[in-house]
Amino acid sequence: MSALAIDNVSRTFAGVHGGPPTQALLPTSIAVTDNDFITILGPSGCGKSTLLRIVAGLDTPTGGEVRLDGQTVRRPGADRGMVFQSYTLFPWLTVVENICFGLREKGMPQARQAEMAAHYVDKVGLRGFERHYPKMLSGGMQQRTAIARALANEPRILLLDEPFGALDNQTRSLMQELLLSIWESERKTVLFVTHDIEEAIFMANRVLVMSARPGRIKAEVAVPLGHPRHYTVKTSPEFSALKAQLTEQIRVEALKAA
Amino acid sequence: MTPLVPVSPARKVVLGLAFFALFVVAWSIVTFGGFVPKTFLADPWTMLHEGWLLFTQFGFAKDVGITIWRVLGGFILAAAVGVPLGIAMGAYKPIEAFFEPFVSFARYLPASAFIPLLILWAGIGELQKLLVIFIGSFFQIVLMVAVTVGSTRRDLVEAAYTLGAESAGIVRRVLLPSAAPSIAETLRLVLGWAWTYVIVAELIGASSGIGHMITDSQALLNTGQIIFGIILIGIVGLISDLSFKQANRALFPWAIV
Repeated sequence: MSALAIDNVSRTFAGVHGGPPTQALLPTSIAVTDNDFITILGPSGCGKSTLLRIVAGLDTPTGGEVRLDGQTVRRPGADRGMVFQSYTLFPWLTVVENICFGLREKGMPQARQAEMAAHYVDKVGLRGFERHYPKMLSGGMQQRTAIARALANEPRILLLDEPFGALDNQTRSLMQELLLSIWESERKTVLFVTHDIEEAIFMANRVLVMSARPGRIKAEVAVPLGHPRHYTVKTSPEFSALKAQLTEQIRVEALKAA
Repeated sequence: MTPLVPVSPARKVVLGLAFFALFVVAWSIVTFGGFVPKTFLADPWTMLHEGWLLFTQFGFAKDVGITIWRVLGGFILAAAVGVPLGIAMGAYKPIEAFFEPFVSFARYLPASAFIPLLILWAGIGELQKLLVIFIGSFFQIVLMVAVTVGSTRRDLVEAAYTLGAESAGIVRRVLLPSAAPSIAETLRLVLGWAWTYVIVAELIGASSGIGHMITDSQALLNTGQIIFGIILIGIVGLISDLSFKQANRALFPWAIV
């Protein structure tokens, strides 16, 4: 049974200064099952972030609806954790306090909060930085904290909107491995938006390819690579074949958008 | 000099003091050199001597105390009402729509122009002085705090929503801490303005305070005392400004890292 159902969700933005309205997202349906790791791959401006924001409850669909365990999503909630592309740690809170933000909001006892925080600090390899403020951290460390903050809340589904988009290549690879290893050990359900083909394949069970604006799901590609996945898989023939296939798909769309 | 390259702390202090020294030297030259008659401008030495006399023989310390009390009293009243209102306006758009036009209008009303009215309403006692400062500070505080709170980073608010925060949590745990350093900075700025209002209030219808001493000295053509009073206001203002800055640094370490 699907945990998250995106059912004919569409989004049209009102025209600017009396101009014609922009259709960002054509009616789109996706069924996410438990423990799925789905990446949504598309050229920039294809509406993939809009789709994720609708799932998070930060944006309202023009048509259709999103259901989580049968409940219609109307507003944001702790059951859908999100990691953004921009650095969204609260600058006035330390690493640990950031991780505990949602736990405090739930009214969890202090001692239990500290335990959870310590667990996730370890998970994302930030031991020794618990008392640091976000400004003192590198971009990669900030995003690791953001992932820990989202995970500590134990959401039903984790939404990631190009979380590594602002990082350099090396850091990005390490972060992908980190997130993947967390997923392998915790078996979270994940929806991950990216425009990076390699990232989309490496992380996912299924890659959904979106078309250029107005966005729609153009193709679904299963990734038959086993787990645990090691970064060397990126040089395997299977990986290369998938990459070639997706590159062709994306290229067509990018040409339309450019 | 290269644009935007910072100076070392020691050099900064030296440069800052150098201008004060230059100022006093220029002042000494025009007064001791006889370029300006003593009636119009006292020399630095006379000014210090008059200041000494003020404290030792005319009980000036009491005037200084009263002026400081008035500034702080009026300012704290204005902040106590203005900050919460500004926060409410910044956070909740209907509240902002309700108050903002009036506050923007009231902001342009000069506090000093209210003095005759306030004397009529509240007499020439302490209440009137406090009200002048209140009127001068309140609307500025409200508006600046509202803008600060209203311009909180939207992505931080969204992140808090996805972590399960509700309206009250957003205000208390995102808008407030995010705006706090700027609110403190606003208060520092407005406290500086409050100092100018208090002197205006004391120039008209007061029997004590630094401003009152200045009007008295004017009647006696004692420019030494007047200048001493003005410089003293500057010094007290500078001290309050520096302590405010220090307090902000201690309170919001995350904002200056």
